[in-house]
Parts: sequence; structure tokens; C-alpha cells
Amino acid sequence: MVISAWETYYPTLLHWLLVGGGIMLSVLIVYRILRFFGVGREAATGYALITPWILGFLIFSLYPFARSLYLSFTEYNIFQPPEWVGFDNYVKVFTTDRHFWPNLKFTLFYALLNVPLGMAGALGVALLLNRALRGIGVWRSVYYLPEVLPAAAVALLWGWILAPKSGLINFFLRPVYELFNLEPLQWFTDVNLVLPSFVIMGMWGVFGANAIILLAGLKNIPQELYEVADLDGANAWQKFRIVTIPMLSSALLYTLVTGVIAALQIFTQAFFITTPTRAPQFMSVMIYREAFTFRHMGYASALAWVLMIIILIATLGVFRSTSAYVYYEGEKG
Amino acid sequence: MTSTGKQSRPRMGIKSRRRLGSTITIALLLFFSLFVLIPFAFQLSTSLKTENQLFAYPIEWVPDPVAWDNYLEAFNQLGRIAPGLTFWRILANTLFITILAMTAELIAVSIVAYGFARFRFPGRNFLFLLMLSTMMLPSIITLIPTFLIWRNLELIDTYDPLVVAAWFGGGAWAVFLLRQFFMTIPKEIEEAAVIDGANTFQIYFQIMLPLIKPALLALGVLIFRGNWNNFMGPLIYLNTTIKFPMVVALKFFQESLSKEAPKWHYMMAMSTVMALPILALYFVAQRYFIEGLTMGAVKG
Repeated sequence: MVISAWETYYPTLLHWLLVGGGIMLSVLIVYRILRFFGVGREAATGYALITPWILGFLIFSLYPFARSLYLSFTEYNIFQPPEWVGFDNYVKVFTTDRHFWPNLKFTLFYALLNVPLGMAGALGVALLLNRALRGIGVWRSVYYLPEVLPAAAVALLWGWILAPKSGLINFFLRPVYELFNLEPLQWFTDVNLVLPSFVIMGMWGVFGANAIILLAGLKNIPQELYEVADLDGANAWQKFRIVTIPMLSSALLYTLVTGVIAALQIFTQAFFITTPTRAPQFMSVMIYREAFTFRHMGYASALAWVLMIIILIATLGVFRSTSAYVYYEGEKG
Repeated sequence: MTSTGKQSRPRMGIKSRRRLGSTITIALLLFFSLFVLIPFAFQLSTSLKTENQLFAYPIEWVPDPVAWDNYLEAFNQLGRIAPGLTFWRILANTLFITILAMTAELIAVSIVAYGFARFRFPGRNFLFLLMLSTMMLPSIITLIPTFLIWRNLELIDTYDPLVVAAWFGGGAWAVFLLRQFFMTIPKEIEEAAVIDGANTFQIYFQIMLPLIKPALLALGVLIFRGNWNNFMGPLIYLNTTIKFPMVVALKFFQESLSKEAPKWHYMMAMSTVMALPILALYFVAQRYFIEGLTMGAVKG
């Protein structure tokens, strides 16, 4: 049975227009009500304008946040009402679930390898693209290409590049295998190589957002600082250590924090690559499967909370351990 | 190129040293661009191979014969397992989601950002910090309850969850960027308009919107890309194959037709088609794309 496109678009289009109109109307209504109760003109306008966000915050952040916490203490399969089970889900996460610890370890190791390697690579790319050179714009366009591709397409491509038979990497490595009489590496299909394979795939991300951000940071460094360093007779390495790194520290911190958060939540790439069933999975994939394949909504919520707390600890850890090194212009200067 | 004698460092050869430096830079740029371009070339080349050519050693970079048919055949095969899911239908689905979500988000976000940037009201700083803190909230936490909201509304397997929620000014990150941008606009411009008797709506639409157009474009390109590439949303909310956008159609193809023996040539063809529109957008609006990516990190 084929449904026409219009039939599937029409109801949503209608809802979209209605909700959009409703939001605009609510802005006006909030303004009128506040004015009616004697709120000043400026304050009333301000509250009215942020109404869409306040509604969104209540409906799509605060409520789901609280509901998720509640669900994590229940057993819930969608079809029957949630049943309160106390801390059972959390106990199960940390004790009887055979998959939790391997999956957590896998996710953490991935972040631990992917983030520093990725940052170092992105910094290298940024330094290279920062050189004053004719036609550097063309190079930049080429270097940012991987950032534009959908994560799904990247995953699919790298699944093929790392294919054991006739993949690109094993094609290039074939002379090495033959020289040392080795068996070709099986990459994503070898349980022990799944993690390195994901890290290699992740390295393609050095050409992308982080490099763009770090390059912008490099361009913001006042040239005089390098001139002063020149007068003091600093060599290239010293200039890099004493000028570049401190002046870049806030951009580096930004890429570090967003990188840690993204690496711990990696989903799309993992979902597009078939790995052996015995291999550990990323936490986000595990949560997705518990929730939407097995319909364990309560248990999946508990897992999500554990992951969130781990992300929170990691982020705070990054902030605490770097606060002494990050230099903000205007704060001290 | 003679020594001026003033500096202890030899001036001789500074030009040739600079030339050497840029030669090395170009060599490095070339070398690393291979890491970008070879995978792209591999994808393109694979998409034009027959099944036998896939496993040839050494790799045939330019397949002979060139299997242009793959691009048609990939979608034919998809159409066989998902009746009606043609290339044009998938494109229309993707554009429908992307454009509606982007439009709603840009409108909502710019209004909210304007409110935060320009009007003083009690609790403004607290609310703004609250908004920023939602950026730290992992989407995995809100995923399940949000799914349940749409399920209670009986809107699963419609496009509603993917486009209607965009009206609620959700992107804290986008609000933050636009607010920063609004704050760089001198207040005198509005004050002059107020004296001329313009109301808030007129000021917003006739004065502020044109002024923040560059920022809106930069954000728009990023939001467009985000929605185009979004995978988890359509994966969770859409069940009927005919409604699938690009990314989910690709996953469906991979799952149902390539489970046993991956049809890499078809998958690479589909994935190339899927990436083309976004690549085209990148080349047209590259400036805005890069601006959008850097705005947050540098100013924030």
C-alpha cells in the first residue's frame, strides 16, 4: 500500500502551523496578562519574548528530566503502567547485568583514546591551515569536507574502508602483511580490534569542527605577542609553548569538554557498523536497545542516569583539572 | 639580500628560508589532504563498480566498465522492499523535515534570544543560566520520556516529533549565539525607532532581523545540516518505510538487503546521493557554515 506524500505531510504541516501560531499567540497573551497586572512595559516584553523557551523548558527539559528519574525506579514496558521497584534497576546495573561493566569500560576507553588523539590531530590541522599561503582557502575547503558528511555516511564508508577483505586499509597494509607473513587484521569483525577500529574511524574527525574552532582561536592571537617573543630570541617550539598554547587554552578547553561529552554519547556511528555480538557496545547503543528493542523503559532510564552522572563527573573533572591553565583574555590581561 | 649588520642573526637566506617553509607547508597540506580525499575517492569509485570489481586486487580506482546503473539499481532494490520509497520521495521527506524544523527553530530562537539580550526583567540572569545548563543535559536522559509524550499524543510514526518541537526555542546553544550577536548591535538604533513610534514587533522585524541576518544564515546552515544528518530522531519516531528520510532509508537498506553479503557498491551509491545536497550547500554557503561553527567557541 502506497500512501501519497501529501497524505503523510498534511497532518504534520497543519500541526506545525497551529503550534507555531499558538506560540506566537502565547507571546502576545503573556504580554497582555503581565501588563494587566501592572508589570512594566520592558519586563513584560522580555518575559513575553522568552515564553517559547519557557514552555519548551517545562515540556521538553524539566518534565522529561523528572519523569526519567521516576521511571528509573520502575519497571515499565509501555503497555502496562510503570511499577515501582525501588533501587532494583540500579542494583541490577552494577551487579547482575553482565554487559554493563564491559560496555562502560569500552565507552570510557573510547573517549580516553579518541578525545586526546582527536584534539592533537585537530590542533595540527589548524596550525597547518593557519599558515599565510596563497590559496589557503581552497585547502581549508578540502580539509573541512569530512565535517559536512552525515555521521551515518562516514560510518558506512569507514565500515567499508576497514572491511577485512578488500577494504582500503588492508589493501594498503597488504605488503606489510606479506613481508612479515601476518594474517590480515580483521578490524570491526575481530572482538579485540573493535575499539581500535572505532578510534581510527574517529580520527577522521580531526578534519572538521575542532580544527575550524582552533583555527579561529589561532587567528585571534595578537601578532605582537609573537613579535615580542621573536625579539626575546624564542625559537618556534618556545613560541608554541609560551604564546600559542596559553592563548588557545579557552578554545582547547571548549573542544575538550564538547569532545568528552560527544565521545561518551557516540551513537550514530556505532549503530551503522556491525560488530560481533560478543563485542562490547557503546553505552548509548545499549540504552537505545534496552528501551526500544526490549521495551525495558525503566531499566534503560536507570542506565541513562548512570551515564549522565558519569558525563557530569567527567566534565567537572575536566574543568577542575584545567582551571589553573586556562587563560581568559580580559580576566587577567 | 645583504646583511644590514644591525642584527646578530644572519639576514642571508631569509627569503629562501621562507620559500622552503612554504614548500614544506604545501607538501604537508598535500600529504594530509590525501587522508581526506582518498576515502572520498574510494567511496565514489566503489559506487561505480560491479559486484565482482569490489573484491579485485589491486583496487581498481577507475572501474572498467563504469557501472553508472548502480545509482538507479540501488534505489530500485530499495523500492522493491519498500514500495513507493523512490529517490524523489526520500528527498521530499528529508526536505520536509529539514525545512520545517529549521524555519521553526530559527523563528523561535531569534525571538527568545532577542528577549534575553535586550530587555531587563527580574530573574533574567537566573533564567539565562538555567537555559545554558540545559546544554549539559545529555539528550539520552530526555529521550525516553520525550518519546512517551509523543506516544501519549498518538503521534508516533508521524513527522510531528521531528518538526513541531522546534517551535519551543529548544536549541540553547543557538539562543546563546544569537544573544551574543544581538548584544553587539548598538542600542541607539532601537531607541531612535522607539522615538519614531515603532512598537516591539516593528522594531524586531524591520530593524533587528535584517541586522542579525548573517548570524541567522550561519545558524540556519548548521541547523539545516543537523536536521538533514539527524539519525536517532527519525529512527525512533518513524516506522512506516514510506516516511523515511535519507539517513534512515540508508540504514533500512543496509539492514534488509545487505545483512549477509554487504552490497557495498549500492550502499556507497546511496550514501553519495545522500551527501550530495549537503555538500552542495557547503560549497555555496561555506562562509556561513564556518562562521556558525566558530561563533560559539570564540566568543563564548
